[in-house]
Amino acid sequence: MSPAIRDTREIIRDEQVMRAPILEALAAGPRTIPEIAQALGKPTHEVVFWVMGLRKYGWVSEIKEVGDDGYFRYQAVPRQS
Amino acid sequence: MKYDALVVGSGIGGMESALKLGDMGYRVLVVEKEPSVGGKMILLSKVFPTLDCASCISTPKMAATIHHPNVTVLTYAEVHGIRGDGNGGYHASIRQKPKYVDEAACTGCRQCEMACTVAVPDEFNADLVSRRAAFIAFPQAVPKKAVIERAGVSPCTGACPAGIKAHGYVARVRAGQYEEAFDLVLETTPLVGSLGRACYAPCEEQCTRGQLEGPLPIRRLKRFIADRHYGRAGRTAIPRPQPNGKRVAVVGSGPAGLTAAWLLARQGYGVKIFEAAAQPGGMLRLGIPAYRLPNEVVDDDIATVTAIGVEIAVNTRVQDVARLKAEGFDAVLLATGTHRAVRLRVPGEDLDGVRSALAFLADVKLGHAVNLAGKRVLVIGGGNVAMDAARTARRLGAGSVELASLETREQMPAHDWEVEEALAEGITLRNGWGVHRLGGDGRVRSAELKACTAVFDAAGRFAPRYDEGKRTTLACDAVIVAAGMSADTEAFGLPTNGNRTLKADAGTLQTAAPYVFAAGDVVTGPTMITTAVGQGRRAAFMIDRFLQGLALDPSLLEAPLPVVDQAAVLRRQRVYDRRVPLAPGHAMSAPPTGFAETETTMTEEEAHLASARCLDCGVCSECHACVDACPAGAIHLDMRGRDVEVDVNAVVLATGFTLFPADAKPEYGYGRFRNVITGMQMDRLLAPTRPFNAVVRPGDGKVPDRIAYVMCTGSRDAQVGNPLCSRICCMYSIKHNQLIMGALPLADVTVHYMDIRAVGKGYDEFYQQAKDMGARFIKGRVAGITEKKDGNLVLRYEDIEGDGGIVEAEYDLVVLAVGVQPNPGVARLFADGSLALDDYAWVGEADEDLDPGRTNLPGVFVAGTASGAKDIPDSILHAGAAVAQAAAHIERSRAAAAPARAAAEPRVQVTA
Ligand SMILES: Cc1cc2nc3c(=O)[nH]c(=O)nc-3n(C[C@H](O)[C@H](O)[C@H](O)COP(=O)(O)OP(=O)(O)OC[C@H]3O[C@@H](n4cnc5c(N)ncnc54)[C@H](O)[C@@H]3O)c2cc1C
Ligand code: SF4
Ligand code: SF4
Repeated sequence: MSPAIRDTREIIRDEQVMRAPILEALAAGPRTIPEIAQALGKPTHEVVFWVMGLRKYGWVSEIKEVGDDGYFRYQAVPRQS
Repeated sequence: MKYDALVVGSGIGGMESALKLGDMGYRVLVVEKEPSVGGKMILLSKVFPTLDCASCISTPKMAATIHHPNVTVLTYAEVHGIRGDGNGGYHASIRQKPKYVDEAACTGCRQCEMACTVAVPDEFNADLVSRRAAFIAFPQAVPKKAVIERAGVSPCTGACPAGIKAHGYVARVRAGQYEEAFDLVLETTPLVGSLGRACYAPCEEQCTRGQLEGPLPIRRLKRFIADRHYGRAGRTAIPRPQPNGKRVAVVGSGPAGLTAAWLLARQGYGVKIFEAAAQPGGMLRLGIPAYRLPNEVVDDDIATVTAIGVEIAVNTRVQDVARLKAEGFDAVLLATGTHRAVRLRVPGEDLDGVRSALAFLADVKLGHAVNLAGKRVLVIGGGNVAMDAARTARRLGAGSVELASLETREQMPAHDWEVEEALAEGITLRNGWGVHRLGGDGRVRSAELKACTAVFDAAGRFAPRYDEGKRTTLACDAVIVAAGMSADTEAFGLPTNGNRTLKADAGTLQTAAPYVFAAGDVVTGPTMITTAVGQGRRAAFMIDRFLQGLALDPSLLEAPLPVVDQAAVLRRQRVYDRRVPLAPGHAMSAPPTGFAETETTMTEEEAHLASARCLDCGVCSECHACVDACPAGAIHLDMRGRDVEVDVNAVVLATGFTLFPADAKPEYGYGRFRNVITGMQMDRLLAPTRPFNAVVRPGDGKVPDRIAYVMCTGSRDAQVGNPLCSRICCMYSIKHNQLIMGALPLADVTVHYMDIRAVGKGYDEFYQQAKDMGARFIKGRVAGITEKKDGNLVLRYEDIEGDGGIVEAEYDLVVLAVGVQPNPGVARLFADGSLALDDYAWVGEADEDLDPGRTNLPGVFVAGTASGAKDIPDSILHAGAAVAQAAAHIERSRAAAAPARAAAEPRVQVTA
């Protein structure tokens, strides 16, 4: 699952550029990490860093109930801009 | 400053020491290197065996420490030298790191953090999630104030002679904030579009990424933001500043003049620019060919300047500076550049068809008719102007363009890329030739060249030498001379240098006449746009101070932090992804047919890919997003650190422990397998302020069903040089077991252990309770872990209590119960190396059994885990022992110093 893992610092740095594509992937509704990863064509562990970072800074939030597949779904947080 | 005691470190050991000493009436200084007090305990979920919430019991102590009347706390500060003072006390040097935030003003609202454009791993969440360069360490931080992490100035920004925050706008582009990126450049200069195209980009030469696969295209990113801005319909108007009643005349509308005019006008000065040429822009307009910088872009940049009220009078050559003063200008800036062409001083130079590159380029750029169609053109010179002239001639349809330079190809002062592009466009180089004479019958027909044997003398001065015997003659119809440029300054009547540049103070740019300042190439001689912009900026700063009657102190303009060490930047990562740099956006054709730009603008995707390569060298990018966002105006990126010197009677070392680096046991796959985490990471996942929304796998966000613990990772293990038991990992793992079973009732938890060390009141009961709740305990050391395609992990261990043999078990999350290690920094606190460590590098106690807390140095004590692994209750007890010893020492030294006074004066007593 983890071919050539990138340095954590490098993955985290990418959060800024990944914000727009992730929010775009969530525009149609909530998705799990593997679903977002598939939409972006990126590894799931990298998507975890980005989604959790975006969650920490108020861009996305989780749907409280976990799905039967064991995954939470994440949604874009509406923001005024 | 004098204190009774210095406490180094503010974990539970340090806080406890400080509070107890403070309660006894001693004046205590606590120094903590992190931005908050609290150490590791505040980061824990709950504490064993009571399962009290760690932050609920930590925060009152943290607040008490900060607010105690006898305790002074310096956070984000480091002790870097403790020395005996010869009288039984100690002297300590402390560095207060700059926080870049005014603590009194900061309300802890986190707006800066939300706005910040730089994401780095959050060490307070064990690197499971990001934080920002501007950050509050964690939600319960005390003090709850932001700090900004700055490692120095990023090399790109540091290399910009104009002082443009290159890293800042790269970070803004990466965050998709193109208008903000444009505005950031405007803080320095209005020439966003011109620099985005024609800057020689010294930033890129210094870009750290250049040491990997190639520098970022920093200049082209600036072009990208300029093109977006100028291409946008309905641009936001820049507000006109309130006039301050003073007037400044700027002579010359090149980069220096335009920049100064813009910056002064933004401060309310009435600025009028006087320009000798028919159109404003200086060399941007008259020198740089349109295929590199179209006139429309120059127009756009200048429109920004005139939009805030700057007037420009063209076709107006100023000869008399005093008259401007008489006309009511309070100050004058001379920014007239170097527009006089240096002559070759060879026979035939005045023939028809021979002209200077400057005049030639200006004619073409201003749209005057220049006919070179089919002609054989010879360009003389090896610099960038010669390249511009040659390539322009090519575009005008010259039959052939040859370029003769004194220098060899390698010595040519023109940029390499420019020479390459010229060659690609079909220009022929003749290196190592100087002009002997030009021949013709009224009109130039030929050039006789002589071989140049050396361009510079031994001292590096321009002093060409020739082999007079080696000659060659070229037939030509036109000769363009690009042999240099000089300033035209006689009319101003001000002192000049030998090369006719104006004499102005290098720091203040003031000339001999106090109200006259000079900036740009007219002072420095020919340089480049960005240097002239930097001069214009300096001049604006100084003129403003002059007109306000303030001292002209160059150090006030900017005292940047030192540029970061690039090797240190590159050491931050173990591996680097090689990212293909953007191919140069050049469409080269031989022969080029017109003046269309050779370089294309980036697409948004290209801009993202390019900016994403930035390494955030300085950490903070100086993008000013936090400055814009902070409602309290608390952010000051010009804040600097300070040194604090203190004298103390006693020192308490409470520097705690570090965690075993789990990747030092490669067989467990930490750092390679994403679902292998450490005990500290699990504590974070279980804490109320956790990095994720729940306990989920970092590999894919799945809620784990089967969780394994691998005990004694890095402890009791001679292979990693640590034979000691870490004392806490058994108990924290059992604590996790209970918390996990509470949070994930369906999950199975299995602990692979050697033996469980549950020594302490209620500890064994706590262990039994975990078993009763369903945690499985399997005895035997785990030999290795492998990862499956789905991210699950297979543990191999010897089943020594069951059926025997090597067994494999599959889990979806593995927690390595990492042990503790000594904090390596503590010995370095004593510059002379006098502090004794024990055999395992923990702070040594002179007599662990009978005298806990006392080190080999009289008056220096150790509290908490700095002397060895301990849990929280033991750390507190140990701090109590150290404090009792410290108090006795302070009393003894007081009595020795002033026996009578010590007996007479009661101490201030503070009761909690
Ligand atoms: C995963 C995990 C879970 C745990 N769970 C529990 C639990 O449930 N119950 C329990 O009792 N114990 C637990 N522990 C143990 C507990 O964390 C320690 O006992 C406690 O933190 C020790 O406190 P301390 O003050 O000695 O050190 P620390 O907490 O390490 O504090 C030391 C402080 O000194 C600062 N410092 C270091 N060097 C310098 C310097 N040169 N200048 C200035 N400042 C400096 C550091 O930044 C830090 O803030 C756990 C430990 C871990 C790793
Ligand atoms: S200037 Fe920009 S990068 Fe630096 S802390 Fe502020 S927001 Fe972050
Ligand atoms: S990597 Fe980024 S911050 Fe570092 S020098 Fe290059 S552009 Fe500047």
